[in-house]
Amino acid sequence: MESVLSPAASSTAPRRRKRFQSWKWAPYIFISPFVIIFAIFGAFPLIFSATLSFAQWDPAAGFGAIKWIQLDNYKFVLTDRWFWKSLGNTVYIALASGLPQHLVAIPFAAFLSTLLRGRNIVLGAYFLPFITSSVAISLIFSSLFSKDFGAINAILMSLHDHLPLIGQLLPDHKVDWLQNTEMVKPTVSFVVFWRYVGWNTVLYLAAMQTIPEDLYEAATLDGASITRQFWHITLPMIRPMMFFAVSLTLINNLQLFEEPFILLGDNGGTGQAAMTTAMYMYRTAFYFSDFGTACAISWVMFVIIAVLSYGNNRLFKLAGGED
Amino acid sequence: MASLSLRNIKKAYGNNAPVIEGLNLEVGKGEFVVFVGPSGCGKSTLLRMIAGLEDITGGDLLIEGERANELHPSERGIAMVFQSYALYPHMTVGENMGFALRLSGMDKRAIKEAVGRAAEVLRITHLLDRKPAALSGGQRQRVAIGRAIVRQPKVFLFDEPLSNLDASLRVQMRIELARLHRELGTTMVYVTHDQVEAMTLGDRIAVFNAGKLEQVGPPIQLYREPRSTFVAGFLGSPKMNFLDVETAGAVAGNLQLKLGGNQSLDFGRTPVGTLPSQLTLGIRPEHVRVVPAAAGLQARVDMVENLGDTQLVHTALAGSEASFSIRMAPDAISPRVGDVVGIHIDSANALLFDRTGRALELA
Repeated sequence: MESVLSPAASSTAPRRRKRFQSWKWAPYIFISPFVIIFAIFGAFPLIFSATLSFAQWDPAAGFGAIKWIQLDNYKFVLTDRWFWKSLGNTVYIALASGLPQHLVAIPFAAFLSTLLRGRNIVLGAYFLPFITSSVAISLIFSSLFSKDFGAINAILMSLHDHLPLIGQLLPDHKVDWLQNTEMVKPTVSFVVFWRYVGWNTVLYLAAMQTIPEDLYEAATLDGASITRQFWHITLPMIRPMMFFAVSLTLINNLQLFEEPFILLGDNGGTGQAAMTTAMYMYRTAFYFSDFGTACAISWVMFVIIAVLSYGNNRLFKLAGGED
Repeated sequence: MASLSLRNIKKAYGNNAPVIEGLNLEVGKGEFVVFVGPSGCGKSTLLRMIAGLEDITGGDLLIEGERANELHPSERGIAMVFQSYALYPHMTVGENMGFALRLSGMDKRAIKEAVGRAAEVLRITHLLDRKPAALSGGQRQRVAIGRAIVRQPKVFLFDEPLSNLDASLRVQMRIELARLHRELGTTMVYVTHDQVEAMTLGDRIAVFNAGKLEQVGPPIQLYREPRSTFVAGFLGSPKMNFLDVETAGAVAGNLQLKLGGNQSLDFGRTPVGTLPSQLTLGIRPEHVRVVPAAAGLQARVDMVENLGDTQLVHTALAGSEASFSIRMAPDAISPRVGDVVGIHIDSANALLFDRTGRALELA
């Protein structure tokens, strides 16, 4: 009897020990979708691009063709005049579209916050460009900015002819918005401004709606006019949102790609006048198949954005009196 | 000359029924008047109308004799302390207090002196460089008052300023406010729904109900001689006991009252004028005694609360569902829950109201 039982007993014991204990694994299984997706689409490209920025690699030749060249890619990028030209274009468009975004969005949000009726309709109308496909936007603006048949030239010339006094300040000829090297950057900047001004308005309006009404009432009793209330109450109270919104603009504008790419093509228009750094990086990788240099450009841009974001952070803290 | 005159004041929003109508009130110079009433009675709206934060639909508002209906809030010579304090979070305490003076164009040194003086009065000089976030509730309250003092207004307006404080701090700030009023001697209008604040702070109390002024007078007068069941019930805790009674005739100035459960009461006095057949008897808990069951109105004890300094006995009178409270001395032997006890009503301190709630004058 014993001899029959003992092998069975000895075989169940280790089996029980090895049994899958689901409660121990459950937390890892639940967080695994994020970890797997992040590892594949977040961590791997990050690490791979950092690695590749120190190498020369032709993807067609496979992984075995990776050749380590230390800092050569960075040296090349930092001495490449096309990189600096693209960076100049990027900074120009970032400032020309970014600054007005905030200078318009803040007072506009303040105006909307006073509206009792129709606020959401107006806000929706201004927010619409943000959720519209950039391809659709760029196609419509290509048509509007067309030299011979565009609505903008037609309106400007009509105003020049019919508007007294200031009409003379407007051009009397058709402007080549998308071909003239002087006009390309302002045109792209305007499209970017138009697209994101609604988004920033929503951010600022949300911040303004959290300001307690009694602060304005106290300021009214203290003798503050509407303008002074805006200056002394609204602006300081939305400072954290300003920091957030300006940081987002900074990051997005320095990575600008879609609008100039679709409006002007992959070379950034005549004389590469609106070729941004992101476009240059794209061209370096996919036209010149120089992935190592493209990765180096992206990391240089990362450093520039990080430094500017830090500067922005310090600036806001100093302006508001660091707590 | 009154410091503040409200004459036939009306407030309506759009075409809706008025929330305040035909309100008249005179507040004397240096007087401390407390507006009390339940939520939604219009007391805060009235205060905001005085401040200029709400338009006045009809009537006249006079501040020191000058019509102020159309004056900008900052030109009315008033200062207001808000329930939430409404301190500017991005400014220091000193900047908060000096903001109005800064806007008026006063030079920096004069502002600093004025802020310093107010801070001394409120004992917050050591807090002047801090931001509101770094202050406790009581300190914020002081700063809010300081901001009002700095402007040297003709009238101070307080909108439930202590309601965000805990109980002990509220008592402390109440004493501080009374001291401040004594020292400054400025007219103060104070809105609260806390009857203890109203009773202790006000020279006079104005009781509001549904947009109308029910009664105005010194606290003790309102407590002892309320003109309506609303005022009688609103002031005092626990509230006045009300009993629906029927008159059973009056003999030689002694009114006989019939209560539920076939009980009767010898009231001892009679109302002046015609005698309604149905009345409401009002008696405060401190004017009721527990006696042996056979010696008074019969009641069943529902609950006994010992508050340390007093005992509250909640009972149900025979034939009545309404709760009837009795205040007893802390060391008295209290009845037990379920006991049937006798209740003696001190008629000399009792009040009679007609069924519309109006108090009857007693002979």
